[in-house]
Order: sequence, then C-alpha cells, then structure tokens
Amino acid sequence: MSVSPPARSGLRIRGLRKWYGDTRALDGLDLDALPGEILGVAGPNGAGKSTLIKILAGETTADGGTIELDGTAWDTATDRDRVAVVHQEPQLFPNLTVAQNLMVGREGTRVMVRRLDAAERSLLTDLAILEYADRPIDTVPLAIAQRVEIGRALARDARVFLFDEPNSALTQEESVDLFRRMHLLAGAGNVVILVSHRIAELAEHTDRVALILDGLCTATLDGEALTQEGIAAGLVTGQAVREPGEQVVVHLGEDAATALRLRDWTHVGGEFQAIDLHVRTGEIVAIVGVEGSGARELVRSIAGFERGNGHIQIAGPTGGTSVADGTSLVSADRQTSLFSNMSIGDNMVVRLHGEITRAGGALRFGRMLEIAHELRDRFRVKADSVHLPIRSLSGGNQQKVAIAAAIVRRPEVLVLEEPTRGVDIGSKREIYRLMREYASQGHAVIIYCTEVPEVFEAADLAYVVSDGRLSAPLLVMNHPDVEDLARAVTRLERHGSGRPAAAIQAAASPSE
Amino acid sequence: MTDSTGGAAPAVAPPRPGGDWSSRIRAAGLRIGGLVIAILIVVIIFTVLSKPNTFLTITNAVGIMRSMSTIAIVALGLTLVIVVGEIDLSFGYMYGLASILIGVAWVVWGWPIWFAIPLAFVAAIGLGSINAFLVTVLKIPSFIVTLGTGQLVFGTTLLVSNTATLNPAYPPPGKTVPQEQVDWFFGLSNQDLPLGIPMQAIWMLGVAVVIGFILSRSLFGFRLKAIGGNPAAAELARLPITKYKFAAFIISASLASLAAMLDFAFIGSVQPNAGVSLTFPVFAAVIIGGASLSGGRGSAIGTLSGALLLAIIANGLALLSAGSYLSNFVSGAVTIAAVVLDRFTQSLRK
Repeated sequence: MSVSPPARSGLRIRGLRKWYGDTRALDGLDLDALPGEILGVAGPNGAGKSTLIKILAGETTADGGTIELDGTAWDTATDRDRVAVVHQEPQLFPNLTVAQNLMVGREGTRVMVRRLDAAERSLLTDLAILEYADRPIDTVPLAIAQRVEIGRALARDARVFLFDEPNSALTQEESVDLFRRMHLLAGAGNVVILVSHRIAELAEHTDRVALILDGLCTATLDGEALTQEGIAAGLVTGQAVREPGEQVVVHLGEDAATALRLRDWTHVGGEFQAIDLHVRTGEIVAIVGVEGSGARELVRSIAGFERGNGHIQIAGPTGGTSVADGTSLVSADRQTSLFSNMSIGDNMVVRLHGEITRAGGALRFGRMLEIAHELRDRFRVKADSVHLPIRSLSGGNQQKVAIAAAIVRRPEVLVLEEPTRGVDIGSKREIYRLMREYASQGHAVIIYCTEVPEVFEAADLAYVVSDGRLSAPLLVMNHPDVEDLARAVTRLERHGSGRPAAAIQAAASPSE
Repeated sequence: MTDSTGGAAPAVAPPRPGGDWSSRIRAAGLRIGGLVIAILIVVIIFTVLSKPNTFLTITNAVGIMRSMSTIAIVALGLTLVIVVGEIDLSFGYMYGLASILIGVAWVVWGWPIWFAIPLAFVAAIGLGSINAFLVTVLKIPSFIVTLGTGQLVFGTTLLVSNTATLNPAYPPPGKTVPQEQVDWFFGLSNQDLPLGIPMQAIWMLGVAVVIGFILSRSLFGFRLKAIGGNPAAAELARLPITKYKFAAFIISASLASLAAMLDFAFIGSVQPNAGVSLTFPVFAAVIIGGASLSGGRGSAIGTLSGALLLAIIANGLALLSAGSYLSNFVSGAVTIAAVVLDRFTQSLRK
C-alpha cells in the first residue's frame, strides 16, 4: 500500500510489563510479528491479551519494555496512525457516513466539506463498500463497518492490523470474506495479528500462534505443531491439577430426578437451533462455546433472559415450575449482577420479598441482617460488616455475593455465566465448592464456560456449542488431565470444519 | 419524624461490625448533617442582616412552613420517581389541571366538592399511568415522555378552564355553591391551630412520614432504590420494575394534585397557570436533598430539608427587600453548590 522503507522487519516487542494496581497483567512479554504473515495470539481470559491490545492501540501505556516497528522505536500512545484495531465494536463515528468516517482527521483545510478523492474512492472500491459511502455507520452491517475500519487504517498508511475476536458477531460468509482480507493485508507486507478464542480459525488461518499465559508468551507454535489440539493443550498446560481425593462423587445415576429438560429448543434470533438437553439434580453442567457460538444465549435462555421456542420444563419440588420461579441467573458482568449503590447485605437479600417483610410491606431489618450474616459466613465473604458498600469488596468477594444473592431463593436450576471471570484463585476454589454444595443439595447448576480449566475443575458434564448446535456430552471424570479434556473439547468444536478453506487460500495466494 | 430519617439506607453505613438500626440512623445523619449546617448558617445570616424581630419570630417561622409546604409535598412525590431512576417534568402541569378540575367541576358544573376532588385524583392516576406506560412499555425516555405529557396536560387545563380564574365566591350566573361545602373545603387548609401552625404544614408532615416510611423502611422503597441504582441488575434479579415505575409516577402525579387541592383551599381561588412555576423549586428541593438524578438514592428528610432551605432563603431575601431577581440568583447558586458539595463528599467516601 505504501512506499517500502528500507527495513521492514515488522513488530518486535521485548520485556513488555504492565501492572494494574497490585495486579500484574503483563510480566515481560516478548513477541515478534513479521511482515507478510498472520500471527495468531491465544490465551485464556485474564492472561494479558487485552492489555497487549490496549497498549498496541495506544489506549494505555506500558510500565516497561520496548516496542519496535520496522527497526525503530514505536511510541504507541502518541503514534496511533500506525495501527488499526478491528474488533466486534468498530471504533468509528456511528452517526457519520462511511465516507465521512474515512475522512475524519484528514478533512483538509477548506471551509466546505470535501468529497472523496480518487484514492479514497478506489480504496472503497477495493473493499467493495463504495455503494455504502453515503450511509451512516449505524445503519450498515457490522461486516461493512469493519471494512470501513480497515479502509480508514489503509488511508492513514497503517502498518499493523490487529484483529481482536473480529468475527464473533459475523455470519459464516462475512467471516470468510474477513479472513480473505486478512490474507490480502498480510500478502501486501503488513503486520497482521489475529487474537481469537476460536482455535480452529487460528490453526487454519495463521502462520504462527503465540500462546499467552499469565502475562508471558509461553510458546509459539508453527509448522507441524500448529494444530487445533496443539493450541488447545498448550493453552491449559498446568492450569488445573486434579488433586488426589478432590474429585467428588458424581451422582450421574439414571435414577436422579430431572431438573431441566429442553426439547427442540430454538433461539428466536437464530443463535442456537433444535437443542435437546437433559439435566438431572445434583449435576453441574458446563456449556462451553466461544462468543458467537450460541452457548451464552442458550444458557441465558434457560433462565428466561433470551427468548427461545420449543419445549422447556423445569422440575420443582412438587412437579413442574415456571422459569421465573425455578431459575436464577448470575451474569458474567458484575455491572449487571450487583447493585453498586447498596450495601453488601442489601445485595444479598435483594431478590427476597416475603421472608424480609411483615404485613404492610415494612422491612424486617433484623431478619435481613440475619440472612446476610448467615450468607457471609457460609460463602466466606471477607467483609468486616455487611453494611459496607458492595464496592469495598474485591472482585472475588463481589462474585461470591452475586452468587449468594441468586442462591438465596433456592432455585431448582442455578445458571451462572462465567462464574469466576476476573476472580482470584482463592475465591475461585470457594466458588467451585459452593456450586458443588448447592448441586449436592438436590439442585442443578448450569454454567457457561469459555475456559477449559474451569470445566475441568467445576463440572461433571460438558457440552460444546458451535454454530448454534449442541455436541454430545463429555464426562469430565473420564479425562485424566486438563490437556486431555481440552483436546476433547476442541474436537467437538466444529468451527471452520465446514468451511471451504481451499477457496480462502486460493484467494490469498496471488498477493503472496 | 425519626421514621423518615433512615432515607439514606445502609448503602453508606460506616464500617461498624454488627451495626443495625443505630448505624442506619447515624449514616443518614451524616448526609443530612451538611444540610442542617447549611440551614443554620442561612438562619444566622438572615437573623443578623434583617431588622430585629422580623426574621427569627414565630409568625415568620409559621409563614416559612406554609410557603414550603406546597413545594415539599410535590417534591416528596418527585423523590420516588428520581429514586427509581426516572424524571417527571409533568407534575407542575398536573398541579394546574388538578386545581382547575376541582374548580370547574365544583363551581361551574355544580358537582358536590366530594365528587370534584376524586375527579382530580382520577386524572392524576391517569397521567401517572400514561407516563409510566410510555416509559416502561414503549421504552421512551421519561424526560421526553413527561415533557410531552406536561404540555398535553397544560393544554387540557386551558381548554377545561376556558383560561378563566375560578372562585367559589363568584360562581357563574345561575350557579350556586353551597356554603357548607365552601366551609368544609377551605377548612382543609385553613383552621385555627395552636401557635398559628398552618394546616398545610400538617399535611406536609403527614406526607413526609408516609414517603419516609416508603423510602427507608418498606420493601417498596428498598426495591425502588435497587431498580434506580442498577436497572439491568434489577431485571436479572426479576424485580417488578414496570409495576414499581407505575406506582412512582402515579404517586408523583397524585401528590401534585394533593398540593393543588390544598393551595386552592388556602387561597380560595384557582387560575390555570398555577403550577407552571413549580418545576424549578421542586427539582431544586429534591436535588439539594441529596437525591441522585441517576437514580438509586434519595430520602424524604433530605427533600424536606431542601424545601426548607429554599423557603428560608426566599423568605429572608424578601424581608431584606432584596427583589425577586436576587432570589433567583441565590436559589440557582445554592442548587448547583449542593450538587458540587455532594460530588465532593461522594468522592471522599470512595
């Protein structure tokens, strides 16, 4: 795209460090991305991927380390024209048109608004979005907006193209097109980095994959080692160890009562189709799937927060019960699971009504305090007083409060989205213990997971959702270690398998 | 009045292991403390500046209570709407409609007063329901909804009243208003109480006790704060958001009608423009009282103190013959200062 400078050695990162308060996000990360190749970056949540992206995008600054681009030092915070970040939410001006977005910051000095110049028109033609030039961004599909993002970067002579989970909200055809453009960008000598949870796509479209764990690049896979199973196993190495005697007795007898049954359960928005699922009391069931697979929507639909069609049945203590009475949901985001204007204790009892009121609707403060203290002790929430604001707790303890608040009405089916996201290791164990305790009291627990170690440590059964379909169940007990389970989960993920890979390679090859 | 002191709820309770009622009251006291100090400072300033025996007298205190009661009653209703995270801009017009409906039905149509008054409250329930329906079912922002319904109501008021002032002493030709009804109605606001305490102040205190109970001691208030504090979390927790927002808007419109009825009974006549100028002082009272416009926070005692502070300022400036423009300056400045101070103390708390 641009004139070739003498040295185009690509991106070279050495010893990158970043702390957030007491939390270490990057611990001296080394990474090389060469021009002409697509570098994959994979890692579990909280490993440091998003911090790396933020630093490269200039949204935050590193505490230490160096970044070089084509042999010269690159200050990402000030020189932001060098990089384009393409993700699920394009950083564009939604109220401006495609053409205006392309010109923002380069409008020229004339008083009148200028029109697209020839170079910009040909750029839009190359990206096949010229017909959208006069449409505001918020009226075009996401895939078009992402191409505008690419176009804007090309117009600014960007060198580094960072794709951050770019296709989780795209259709199959849109994804294929996006990967074709990634290959074209790499073929033109740019640095292209793909950050993704979708192991199949990493294996299929990248030349090398860097694994990031605990703020370090632990391994780089290429050539023969670059397989789906290799990535999956590498991502979880040493992440979860089954301690002797820790594995609980699993009540998977056919005689256990049914807690939840789904038949031909289909999302109204098409995120999942024709799901059949049977969950018994006493079970912890993990629904595994990347963002966009339909797994999250499936789990939320069980609690009634996504709409599904078909048959859903939730068992109550005396026959069937309604979704509203029989389920509780804890969302992954504590912004939507806790009330930040209220105290720890009030957050714990907010879902109750009859138990905490007397006739006339007056609150029974004594009873509320009693329940809150009981829950604090049972969940081992580290708080001196339940009157303290919820904000005063650590993330792990906040999550315990959120789960306590959901359990307090004793739902037949407890639904948790990513129950330990952003939670410290100690709180993680506590949360797994509480989930087990609740299940063993004759309830079912359903968790949405994106991380295999969590499935390994917490669940009895795992189902994998890909492209809106549910896999056969995996019995977690049958897998001796987490790497083995990771390989099994990966085999069940069908992403990319039905895709015409040859066509993509062919489209990319002319420019290589 | 202790009933309404706990308005600030335990969200800001100090770190006190096993703290219960006493800590709740203490926590509320911290929030109200600033307001009490502000009120004392203003009282001292006006006592010093005014002529002897004009400001700090029982007669003047009674006058202040009378003048704050309309604003306080309406503001107590608005507090519920603000706590649940919405805005009501229609209460001033509801005030006008309520007084005109009572006046027209009673004086022009010749209804007995006992039917005219319920008519005003039926209208209030209707407006509150329409506001809540548009906000909760059609998901239109309450600012826009109530901006619009306010004008619809104002238009209705002008239409119904024929833009005329109404007075039961001067019914239209051919109509009469029974004297015992006049006496009963005026008695709602004018009665000889000890020390000359105004009847409206008693109504105000009654309303404050009820709203104070709701906000600090009832499940209804507890959940209003939860819904206002985090609507997304309230939905996931399956709190009855729609029902509670209906209740809040209906109470707000109904208390505006109550205030209108009491003012009609006190003044003896109504005119359709009444209530239009309520928007600023009512909002100011709620905001000075510590309610958060983003929802989840507010108390009856706070709103009452806010109304008191504004009434003292208006009264004091009038005694100093300061002119009304200065009164506008000062109440505007006090409102902004209250929010600035609140931001400051909130950031200290974190």
